[in-house]
Amino acid sequence: MIVTRDTFRRLCRARDLLVEIPEERLSIAEIAQKIDVSPFHFIRQFQSLFGVTPHQYRIRSRLDRAKLLLATGEHSVTDVCMEVGFSSLGSFSDLFTRRIGTSPSAYQHQARVSVQVPGTLPQKLFPGCLSLMGCLPPTAFRNFREALLTTAR
Amino acid sequence: MRIRITSIMVDNQEKALRFYTDVLGFQKKHDFPVGDYKWLTVVSPEGPKELELALEPNANPAGKTFQEAMFAQGIPVAAFEVDDIRYEYARLKARGVVFTGEPAKAGPVTIAVLSDTCGNLIQLYQPA
Repeated sequence: MIVTRDTFRRLCRARDLLVEIPEERLSIAEIAQKIDVSPFHFIRQFQSLFGVTPHQYRIRSRLDRAKLLLATGEHSVTDVCMEVGFSSLGSFSDLFTRRIGTSPSAYQHQARVSVQVPGTLPQKLFPGCLSLMGCLPPTAFRNFREALLTTAR
Repeated sequence: MRIRITSIMVDNQEKALRFYTDVLGFQKKHDFPVGDYKWLTVVSPEGPKELELALEPNANPAGKTFQEAMFAQGIPVAAFEVDDIRYEYARLKARGVVFTGEPAKAGPVTIAVLSDTCGNLIQLYQPA
């Protein structure tokens, strides 16, 4: 599939709208309408470009935001639930636990004990570029020369 | 000093592994669990085998912001060389890959830009 420059721009705009958490959250159909695409084409094109449906993208971004707020430790679980656009604490906790594998409160606790410098994010939960390399076992890497020698044999 | 590893941030490592292996045709090299994530790298079967591409989680908000901005501006974050860009374009398009246009001449190369479905644009290029 080829997306034209205009369609590409519209889909990126839709992505921004999906991440926004306004008072009156737009439905998927309303977002499609805002970018002048039929809901059917919107969902199909969005999934082709971003690998997930608009609904899945919205859920993921809300949970990502929730993880960030929980990790900073400045919000209660209830505050985070409201902040990311859930009206029911039960629904939020259930979804968070199913997708993230731990409850919001357990995640918050895990983040708190991981933070070594106040005001920073725990590396383990929010790894920066290539920082995961430092957590590998000693056998994970051979140096380049050893690898070349092995290849040459 | 040598270039051995470069990386691309991805929004989901499992999805990225499927795309970069099943669709693009790279091979998994390393897959070590690290907490909630993985140290995940792929190599090209066309070599060199020692040059790895790490598929890194974009969990850090700074990385995510960068990735989203680059994508929205239509800027590829990596370029892969191909022998026959028309062939690769047709092969990948048949597999449902989204391109931003048909292969086009750009100076000394012919390029085509695709979405990796993980938040990035990738440029394929064929030297003249």
